[in-house]
Amino acid sequence: MNILEINNLTKRFNSIIAVDKASFSVPEGSVFGLIGRNGAGKTTTIRMILNIYFPDEGEVLFKGSKIEQNFKDSVGYLPEERGLYKKMKVIDMLLFLAELKGKKGSEINKSALQYLERFDLADRKNSKIEDLSKGNQQKVQFIGTILHDPDFLIFDEPFAGLDPINTNLLKEIILEMKNKGKVVIFSTHLMEFAEKMCDIIAMIDKGKIILNGKLTEIKEKFACKNISLNYQGSISFLNGHPLIESIEDFGNSTGIKLKKENTDQELLKILIQNNISIKKFNVDEISLHEIFVSLAGKEVINV
Amino acid sequence: MFNKRTITIIKRELKMKLFSKSFILMTLLVPLFMIMIFSIQFLVHSLSDEQRADIIFVSDSDEILNKIQGEIYLSGSFKSGDITARFEKTDFNGFSKKLNEIKSDIIAQRITGVVFIPTTSLQSKGVEYYSSNPNNSSLFYKIKPSINKALVEIYFSGKQLTQDEITFARKDVEINGFRISSDEKVEQEGYGNRIAMVLFSFLLYMALIFSGAMTMNAVVEEKSNKIVEVLLSSASSTELMAGKIFGTVIVEVIQMIIWLSPVMLLITTSWFFIPPEFMPQMSFGYILYFLFNYALALITYVALYATVGAIFDNPQDAQSGVWPLLMLIMIPFFIALGLESNAQTSFAVIASLFPFASLIVMPARMILVEVPLWQILLSSLINIIVLIGIFKLAGKIYRIGILLTGKKPKWSEVIRWLKMST
Repeated sequence: MNILEINNLTKRFNSIIAVDKASFSVPEGSVFGLIGRNGAGKTTTIRMILNIYFPDEGEVLFKGSKIEQNFKDSVGYLPEERGLYKKMKVIDMLLFLAELKGKKGSEINKSALQYLERFDLADRKNSKIEDLSKGNQQKVQFIGTILHDPDFLIFDEPFAGLDPINTNLLKEIILEMKNKGKVVIFSTHLMEFAEKMCDIIAMIDKGKIILNGKLTEIKEKFACKNISLNYQGSISFLNGHPLIESIEDFGNSTGIKLKKENTDQELLKILIQNNISIKKFNVDEISLHEIFVSLAGKEVINV
Repeated sequence: MFNKRTITIIKRELKMKLFSKSFILMTLLVPLFMIMIFSIQFLVHSLSDEQRADIIFVSDSDEILNKIQGEIYLSGSFKSGDITARFEKTDFNGFSKKLNEIKSDIIAQRITGVVFIPTTSLQSKGVEYYSSNPNNSSLFYKIKPSINKALVEIYFSGKQLTQDEITFARKDVEINGFRISSDEKVEQEGYGNRIAMVLFSFLLYMALIFSGAMTMNAVVEEKSNKIVEVLLSSASSTELMAGKIFGTVIVEVIQMIIWLSPVMLLITTSWFFIPPEFMPQMSFGYILYFLFNYALALITYVALYATVGAIFDNPQDAQSGVWPLLMLIMIPFFIALGLESNAQTSFAVIASLFPFASLIVMPARMILVEVPLWQILLSSLINIIVLIGIFKLAGKIYRIGILLTGKKPKWSEVIRWLKMST
């Protein structure tokens, strides 16, 4: 069942259309990735989901009805540009953020201390935020995002600017939340992270959703028509070949897109006939990045 | 607007501000600062007395010259050496020549000035003073009584009056003010209320500017350290703004109560002794009104300052947005100070009802005169309406501005924000 439905969301800033009729849905218990380049409209979309921006057109439905404060209360949001009150004590900051979500009392106090313990910050609970290292400030920010036990987690470019320790910590949090059956929505321009963590993705480019669906299904569909190739020799004879839709050089490998499905064996034959020394010919392996590059600028594909 | 999130934000503001060093510091520094400003005024005033003056008195009449010489020698300023005087007799033509001769001495300030007292002054009391500083009121204050006395005595000398009659004729009229209040009580009024008016207006002026600037910086800081987007995922921008403003208002009103506590004790108890001419006639109700009006003024101005803070993302740029607000506080402040001469003119009445101005002018006027109740109510009503309007506009600008960073927005863009639905 879809817990969140985004219908025809549009947002204009002056004459620029930041988000253009974006539609997608987020099923219960899924890890959802909103993927796209910088400036594609990810943050604007997320801000509209959170009701920070009012959409010019379209709507966001939570359990079938328009989003209201109860949705905000059930969300934990980690914006791309993170921030805390520098002069506040760690524990006060956390309790303040939880209270804004309507959670206070001894329960939440206990929970805050547990998280601080777990993240090795128990001895810093009375320190001012500004006295913490940047890495520790990020940890405090994570705790602030999940302390009120939200049903939804929305992370905007969560891995930007994190050190390796905090990157792992955040991955751990995301998996933990997933196992608890919570919905995790995150936006990223890092395809490899999305590939590893998401069940469902929506690709956004120039404000438009160009691909939306289950990651496994997307990969299946694109894999039959896509080949990842490592070789020696010249493959220039493939340019304009009737089998080939496009050829893309990724440096380490070359991505070849076929016009028809299941014509990969024919291509292999042609390559051998032309004395190309093949180091790797992988029909199934297609990265999200390759999919993105092949799609950017094209029409919406629903899987 | 007032829900648990707004209250959470207000609580945070109170907690962070009331126990902060800067609150304690400000509470102590502002009265100190005011005392300092008044002391400097006093010092400048007393210093102007200290300068020695070297004056030449010139007349075309021996009688005048002799009489003035006698009076000047008797005056305190001459005896204490504040003034040295020379006396010269010459007619009109001689005077112009004389003036030409000593011009350079006057410019070089070897001679402070020349007082020319022609015979015609016995009819007109017109006297001329030539100096590089012809507006030296502290000098006039010293020599005028002597000149006046001399002229009056010469004028009446042939008219067979007694010395008592001449003394009476010479005397200036002294007006003592009595306040008749609406309960038909009649009370003599000293300087107390005038001093209180200046003090209260000044306090209001300073407090508004300081608290406005502080709120603006806090908003700029929230914006630049990015906490604001985290907050917006929990609360709406209106809740955020309202929490911030009302948090500040509560803190500042508490501070004002601390500042006014000596005044409250002064008018309700007899613990302090103040000479009656300096004792302000002020009711406790006025103090309550002052605090209520202060709260309205704070909400109005703090909302405006917070909005300016939301438009810009660094303090330098924000400063450029502040000057229109400074005008909105400074102009009413100077109108209030101008009330001293007459607080009942139609201009004063209009200013005390006019949006923004009334927040500062009305409390000042109320110290000096008894303002009809309807005017007080009307001004409060106008202020509340303006305040609601400002809150709406500020909310719109705040909502858009608070998330924008980078380029400094143009005013035309800000106006467009007002029209947007966002």
